[in-house]
Amino acid sequence: MATGTAIVRVPKEAQKGQVIRVQIVITHPMTPTRRDPQTGQETPGHFLTKLQLLHNNQLVSEMNMGAGVSANPFIAMPLKVESSGVVKIAYEDNRGGKWEKTAEITVK
Amino acid sequence: MDRRKFLLLSAVAVAGLTLAPATKPAFAASKVEEEVKKRLGVELKAIKETAEIKLTAPTIAESGANVPITVETDIPVDKVERLWIFVDKNPSPWVTDVKFTPQNGQVFLSTRIKMGETSNVRAILQLKDGTFVMATKEVKVTAGGCG
Repeated sequence: MATGTAIVRVPKEAQKGQVIRVQIVITHPMTPTRRDPQTGQETPGHFLTKLQLLHNNQLVSEMNMGAGVSANPFIAMPLKVESSGVVKIAYEDNRGGKWEKTAEITVK
Repeated sequence: MDRRKFLLLSAVAVAGLTLAPATKPAFAASKVEEEVKKRLGVELKAIKETAEIKLTAPTIAESGANVPITVETDIPVDKVERLWIFVDKNPSPWVTDVKFTPQNGQVFLSTRIKMGETSNVRAILQLKDGTFVMATKEVKVTAGGCG
């Protein structure tokens, strides 16, 4: 899969007020910036810096990260659902890449 | 031993004991202490350990490139501002921080992190009242994942 593609998993249906787990997997190399100890030359890294979790376009959670998170990051976060709608994640990396991914949830 | 000698000896011993901790700050602060001070604005030593945070991580990690960690807590989400994850001996000890809001319903985070060598993993909760609480777990790493 290409860098930046993501899978977002939420339960199809939930009760009102239930706390669900949003499971996220993003394809990304997450390489750190390295400096060669001999030459002092820097190899630029490529990693995700920010991830936002939104429910019906309202910001719920914001995560900052660096290259300390494993390649192809897996993240699970809680979300309290009060109404049906769209769970969206928006994320960006240190090279200006910006992506979004959504999942739908029905609240009974 | 007569009284004079005993007094002299004990005076030396007490002086030695009090001097030992006093000389410690002369050494450079460890990397994780610097990082915590820089990002959180408090000393790592001032953060209290609490049993209210449950930090789940393997005791021995097969590979440092992929260490699954889970943080759960009984502290209600509306009292929590942010969750920080630090790994003591990583080249860059800060791993991630997550801002929580009441819409999260609870404080929970599960992810996978990299570890360079055997070290402590710290989950620090920044509370709304400005205080910090922490849970620590040592993870033994057989093959590092930062190199």
